[in-house]
Amino acid sequence: MARFDTLNTAWTVWDNPAPAPEGAVLEYTRELEKFLAEIERRAFRMAQVALRDPDDALDVVQDAMLKLTRNYAARPSAEWRPLFYRILENGIRDMQRRRTVRKRVMTWLPGPKEDPDNEAQDPLENVADSAPTIPERLMQAQAMQHLEESLRALPARQREAFMLRNFEGMDVAETASAMACSEGSVKTHYSRAVHALRAQLGEVW
Amino acid sequence: MSEQDHEAFEMRSRALFHDSVEGLDMRIRSRLTQARSAALEAAQHRQPWWSGWKVWTPAAGVTAAVILGVVLWIGSPLGHQGGTLADAQTSFEDLDLVASSDEGATDAMDMLQDDIDFYSFADKATPGPAA
Repeated sequence: MARFDTLNTAWTVWDNPAPAPEGAVLEYTRELEKFLAEIERRAFRMAQVALRDPDDALDVVQDAMLKLTRNYAARPSAEWRPLFYRILENGIRDMQRRRTVRKRVMTWLPGPKEDPDNEAQDPLENVADSAPTIPERLMQAQAMQHLEESLRALPARQREAFMLRNFEGMDVAETASAMACSEGSVKTHYSRAVHALRAQLGEVW
Repeated sequence: MSEQDHEAFEMRSRALFHDSVEGLDMRIRSRLTQARSAALEAAQHRQPWWSGWKVWTPAAGVTAAVILGVVLWIGSPLGHQGGTLADAQTSFEDLDLVASSDEGATDAMDMLQDDIDFYSFADKATPGPAA
């Protein structure tokens, strides 16, 4: 069996019609799993901040995982993170567009009939059951809620730059790669985002 | 706004975000794990490059277009271009015979003169209508 010095060599060989050696496949499958497990929750929260709805956010994250593993796993592992976030952001944008179209169509259609069984339903039942009981946690949750609302109010590129730089901890070059723009643009978007957020949150924070 | 304020803001927002990530409920965590497994499963059973629909669909489209083009070309008048050329060649030879300045052309002129003489004779020989 041939020896593979790096995971990328293994991928290159796997791209060929000949079947990949089992050991190489296992090795980079493990590497991919580690990467996805490390990134998935933050990616979900970022998608949720942008989309608000957790189910939509889950769909977008799952789609991004599939696209990364299917189309870009052959790339060097250092490129996975910017690629993943680029796919994720494209997914978020597509979802937002679909929602806008759906909303326009729904305004022309008659609304759903009121279900008498649902009238008595308590809206608090839909809230996640991990509500903090300690006042400090409650305050943190409120602060995060304000931050999320302010982030949603930002232009998409500014929100993207802020979340990738600040939440994900990417450097300028990585963020530029994920956003498919220049490093100068990343700095501008990020700076504007911070100023806008501080201006919005100044009173409540 | 000072640089320190900026840094404090960044740190606080980052801490809040990471707290919210840690506070994700089990339902979400479970679904993320399922999504990851599905993605890895798809990666392990990746098809070879030549078996994907993205390769075969354009190839099939091009083949269908070529076949359609050939069928239409054969069915159209242009498709019989071989026969038409042969006909054109024959007509050209006839024209060449008639129009050439050799004896063929002289014969043709003689034949035409004979015809005129004959028609003139016939006209005179035919009795005119009764007055």
